[in-house]
Amino acid sequence: MRRSTILHSFYSAFRPLSTRTLPANCLRKSFSPITQSLRAPNAAPFSSSSRLLARKGKGGGQKKDNRITQIRYHLTHQKTPRPLRFSRLRALRHWTIHRAWQLFRAKQRTAEQLELERQYNSMREACEALRLMDERGMSGQEGGREVGRLYRIAMEKKGIWDNVPIEYARIQMDYPSREGWNHEWTR
Amino acid sequence: MALRELRFKAGSALWRDLRPSIYPARPFFTRDASTNALQDLESSSFTVPPPSEDIVKSYDPVARSKSRKNELPPSRYQYRSPKYYRGPLHPHQPPPPSDPSSRLFTPGPFSLPRLEQTYQSTIAPDLLTLTYTHFPPGYRAPPKAQRLRSWEGDSPYFKNRPLRGPRGGDNLRLLTPPKTFRNIPKITGVTLHSMVPDAVDDSAHLHVAGMVMQAISNVRATTHKARRSVQQWGLREGKYVSVTASMKGEDTFHFLGKLIDVVLPRIKEWKGVKGTSGDSSGNITFGLPRDAVALFPEVEVNYDMYPPKMIPGCHITIHSSATNDRDARLLLQSIGIPFYGKVVN
Repeated sequence: MRRSTILHSFYSAFRPLSTRTLPANCLRKSFSPITQSLRAPNAAPFSSSSRLLARKGKGGGQKKDNRITQIRYHLTHQKTPRPLRFSRLRALRHWTIHRAWQLFRAKQRTAEQLELERQYNSMREACEALRLMDERGMSGQEGGREVGRLYRIAMEKKGIWDNVPIEYARIQMDYPSREGWNHEWTR
Repeated sequence: MALRELRFKAGSALWRDLRPSIYPARPFFTRDASTNALQDLESSSFTVPPPSEDIVKSYDPVARSKSRKNELPPSRYQYRSPKYYRGPLHPHQPPPPSDPSSRLFTPGPFSLPRLEQTYQSTIAPDLLTLTYTHFPPGYRAPPKAQRLRSWEGDSPYFKNRPLRGPRGGDNLRLLTPPKTFRNIPKITGVTLHSMVPDAVDDSAHLHVAGMVMQAISNVRATTHKARRSVQQWGLREGKYVSVTASMKGEDTFHFLGKLIDVVLPRIKEWKGVKGTSGDSSGNITFGLPRDAVALFPEVEVNYDMYPPKMIPGCHITIHSSATNDRDARLLLQSIGIPFYGKVVN
């Protein structure tokens, strides 16, 4: 019972991609621990002498953890599918969809880049305006007194490289919970 | 070529002349539930009338294929990509990796991770704003000192010597270009690494570690040998002792999402990543103990499947496109990885 539940839990993670069943006399099937464990316990082995008795001399009698056996089995039997081979029309269809997807991604990327560029340009213009602004908010001469005070303050960048508040880093989601942050929490 | 184009141009010009200059005004049309939805569609095979009777009668694919003298090539795609790349001049070139017949083809991406969306929509513009440095028009960066130093002195042997490396080490460090909207640092990959010295005696440790890494990262784990024997650590040369899994693209964001939202908040008394971590070229590494690795949802739901003493701890290296640790740290902090202690750039 325990073995079968173990098998089941791994089976969901490593689902074989082909559901083709192996023939009854297949070599892999007859040696795989899955079928070994699934076989009825009272089925007689091929040899009439007991296997456990024969191994007792060198095996030392300690049993391997079954979980490790399972992990080894699934690591060595990867269910990697064979490489895809498309017929003419399916290959063409794949090519069309692939091109369309690439075009779509390229457009998206360009839009993102343009948006960032727009933000960058407006920041640059704002900083340029601040740099040439005097105390009364008028554009003054560059070397004048009290010209560009706000610009100098903005370029100090105090505390930029200190820690980002942890509240900032919330990965966005469709429906954020109403009480996403426990403000009463203390250590 | 030009001639062909000319013909096309002439044809289109003629066609333009033939068309009526004023289109008949269409009636203003809005579709409601009662009208036919098919009218809204573009021309499709549903709207085209079926083939006429005589075409259907005369359609006989079997007779047609029999009347053919030469057999058509089989429909199954028989092409095989070359196993080795033999250079650009070889007549047999491999197809592009996007082609399914290529040996490098990987299907996907299959999802758009939340962290990637957050980065695009929020984090990248915020980093751009935070790190913006203004250069007035006409600004020219002052010339930098020579990166490879020449040999200065009176010795005649200094003549024609190859240049010296920078101070403090022989390797050139990465240059940091001025920050623009084009080079905002982003995450390029994650590498998991787990060293299992017990695997020298019992390979089960290595197998369990490989399975855990594979389950966590969705990437096939690769094993590595010990390069030399170290008596104190119980290492023997040539024995397999460690497992790595390196992720790229979609897998990276899924892994980091799980790490930040599920695993790190549940580690008890975890202060964060050490501020001195990093290789000064934008890659930052930290470690997780084995009980933290067990907190990953893939391991947790299936916890009974792993021998609990064999679940390994691991090192996580986050690769970013930043060229120094300071930028990389800012990026990681903004996605939710805290840092503590003295900070080294």
